[in-house]
Amino acid sequence: MAAGFFQPEGRRLSKAAVTALMLPFFSVIALVFLWPLLSLLSLSVLEPEPTLAHYQRAIDNPVYARVLWRTLVIALWVSAVSLLLAFPVALLMARSEGPKLAFITACILLPFWSSVLVRTAAWSVLLQRKGLINEGMQGIGLTAEPLKLLYTQGAVVVAMVHVLMPFMVLPIYGALRNIPADYARAAAICGAPPWRGFLHVTLPLALPGVIGGFILVFLTALGYFITPSLLGSPKEMMISTLISQQIREHLDWPFAAALVGLLTLFVTAITLVFSRLFGFDRMLGGRK
Amino acid sequence: MTLTQRGTGIEIRGLRKAFGQVTAIDHLDLDIHPGEFLALLGPSGSGKSTVLMALAGFEPPTGGTIRIDGEDCTHVPPHRRNIGMVFQHYTLFPHMSVLDNVAFPLRMRGVAKEERRARAAAALETVRLGAFGDRLPKQLSGGQQQRVAIARAIVYNPRVLLMDEPLSALDKNLREEMQIEIKRLQESLGITVVFVTHDQGEALTMADRVAILQSGRLQQISPARELYERPANLFAAGFIGEMNQLNARYDGARAHFSDGTSLAVPQTALVAPVPPGPATLTIRPERVRPVAPGSGDLQGVVRDVIYSGAGTLIIAELPGGTEFRARISSAGIAPPAAGAPLGFALPPEGLLLYPAAA
Repeated sequence: MAAGFFQPEGRRLSKAAVTALMLPFFSVIALVFLWPLLSLLSLSVLEPEPTLAHYQRAIDNPVYARVLWRTLVIALWVSAVSLLLAFPVALLMARSEGPKLAFITACILLPFWSSVLVRTAAWSVLLQRKGLINEGMQGIGLTAEPLKLLYTQGAVVVAMVHVLMPFMVLPIYGALRNIPADYARAAAICGAPPWRGFLHVTLPLALPGVIGGFILVFLTALGYFITPSLLGSPKEMMISTLISQQIREHLDWPFAAALVGLLTLFVTAITLVFSRLFGFDRMLGGRK
Repeated sequence: MTLTQRGTGIEIRGLRKAFGQVTAIDHLDLDIHPGEFLALLGPSGSGKSTVLMALAGFEPPTGGTIRIDGEDCTHVPPHRRNIGMVFQHYTLFPHMSVLDNVAFPLRMRGVAKEERRARAAAALETVRLGAFGDRLPKQLSGGQQQRVAIARAIVYNPRVLLMDEPLSALDKNLREEMQIEIKRLQESLGITVVFVTHDQGEALTMADRVAILQSGRLQQISPARELYERPANLFAAGFIGEMNQLNARYDGARAHFSDGTSLAVPQTALVAPVPPGPATLTIRPERVRPVAPGSGDLQGVVRDVIYSGAGTLIIAELPGGTEFRARISSAGIAPPAAGAPLGFALPPEGLLLYPAAA
């Protein structure tokens, strides 16, 4: 092996090592992600002849803009609710050791053992007119008539939070775990009661993890397909359902490709803004 | 705005701390005088850091009381103790500027923005970092960061300053420089300092008094000179500096060695009364005088001669295999060669006698 392939001093790898480590991953990505994406995007501007008409149509028709906007709002809701639920769990995890930590981690990771489809189906069982929740609420007299829970925006948000919450918990946990215990002590001895120490020291230091988890969930939610199409109504269509509909029902590949192009543009822009504002290596636990 | 303060006394009575089955502090009584610089010295696991944690309020004691300035604060939470603390790894808040770090305690105390900036700047000036307020902690060197930590700990005129091995992360030269600087600062502020260290040189250099802890118990508390010259017991004698230890039998006047020789023990050698019986005679290596073989009080064979600049260390083996050390000035006569026989004279004023370890 060439000298300098691994450079023991310092943590930086040589260029050859970086290339060798990244090659398998990028080959797969190029083959199954970049190539199909690019060929799809080329449809959007080349079918039937070089044109921007498909994009024009997507932008001009307010129906599509509304779908995009709704997608954005739902993704924000999902991220916000996930954050509220995930932060206390991550804090508990960061303060736990041994069997307790293992138990909480197992609870967080357990849902990964079943498919998203099964979990989404479980929600439709819970939320239907004669489902557990409606029966329960009627049973304790909260409501006389069964409520319409399924096929609403609320159902979509709740089920998506359920699926995506681990992606919020883990980065926040990582960030909290990285904060040395002496910081909280230093804040306390400086005169900060626990809540002020948390507000002024712990929270700002955990922020990279919070932002990392937030964009992870937000970006995933933007392109989510199964949950919105199973638990949402056509009136509350999200962009991925719309794209699927264009392909499968209208066979309008060029227009679907234009919508994909818009979504990609959107996601890339958001990612770049976040990256510029906060720095990606810090969100993933790196330290400056 | 000046940083003048009056140190306060601390009274520790019967302090006990157990972690499950392990007793970290065992009925500790300790009086720290107002304005005093006290070093808590001990090997790791001696309980010295646990004492500091109890003083700061991070670890509630299992029993006993801590009074600061006469006021019982055994169970007062840390943020209400008005104590300053400097940690081993600086613990400056990385997301705040140096000035904001120093102003943080004042902000927690509701001091108005203008005033706290002025006072923080004055505290930074005290540690000679007045020009660094706008920087982030990571842009400073280790020594500078620790000085900022000191500024943050004194800016609110705390009653007591606790320091938990604050210099152990610094390199040797910087450490010595900081020792002098901290000592000077403590004297000019008149603040009470409790300083935890495992470095005995540091403790002897900086502290007015040194408290030696072992297994959660106080072994000795005395001024540095006394600690080194007249250690109260065998543990303190062995822990501070180098000490030759010779097993002997004491008959009330002389120490008899197993090879049949004996040595008169002067009254000055008894720090505390020693009952006749098994005893340990001790002497510091720099007190020992090498003499011609056959003369002197002890005979040995030279094993190693270690030159270290100003001094030379002679390690010899006594009959029976006991190691015996002598430190001499390198400037004197040429040291003996390894393997050569050598005599040692033990000046009576350098001898100390303790009951043999149980």
